[in-house]
Amino acid sequence: MDDLRNIAIPTDPEEALAAVVALRRLADRIERGAVRSALQQGWSWSRVALALGVTKQAAHKRLSDVAADDSSA
Amino acid sequence: MFKRIRSKLDDMGTIKRLCERAEIHALHDQQREPGGEHFLLAALDLPDGTARLAFEQAGAEPGALKAAIERQYGDALLSIGLTADAPPDIPVSAHSGAYQAAASGQVVMQELAEARRDHAPLLGAHVVSIVAGLPQGVVPRALRALGVDPASLKSSADAIVGKSSP
Repeated sequence: MDDLRNIAIPTDPEEALAAVVALRRLADRIERGAVRSALQQGWSWSRVALALGVTKQAAHKRLSDVAADDSSA
Repeated sequence: MFKRIRSKLDDMGTIKRLCERAEIHALHDQQREPGGEHFLLAALDLPDGTARLAFEQAGAEPGALKAAIERQYGDALLSIGLTADAPPDIPVSAHSGAYQAAASGQVVMQELAEARRDHAPLLGAHVVSIVAGLPQGVVPRALRALGVDPASLKSSADAIVGKSSP
């Protein structure tokens, strides 16, 4: 596991911005996987939204296609 | 006259196919809105074959583009000292309603629309020329990861377009 204290932020803006894009993409994928797991464990959308720090409507709008009944993930 | 009408209809069909393929590539990439990289992959799918030809003439393997797109994300994370196993893919569904593209995808669509009078007909090479000219973002990084200079790819695409113009 990476030690977050060792993350080096590039001084070159192109490199730094590319890292931001890659981190957002990684975060989106982690989010979808975690929300699917949560729904499979019986979490409500209200609880998911609270954990993500967004409204229930916002969470549902962005993540409603994360099927809870598919166990392939 | 009829030739021009026929050409316009063909171009509309090509744009429809391009947008549909770009969206499919975006969804496979876990993104709802296609970006420039997805339009580039879609151009390689067009049956005229000119996008693939542009890649080959620039010394790049068209079939390696998708892996290069993925690799540049890993390289970007590595540049800050982070390594991460790719989380499992969870199918993403398309937007309902009007077609929506990411910012770089919108640039591609706008430039295609602005240059539509010059297309006779619209070819994959036109799309490659526009996408290879994007100065920043995933596309130039992916092309460099593929070992191809974006300017060389654009030149190859422009040369193919030039030869196909009446």
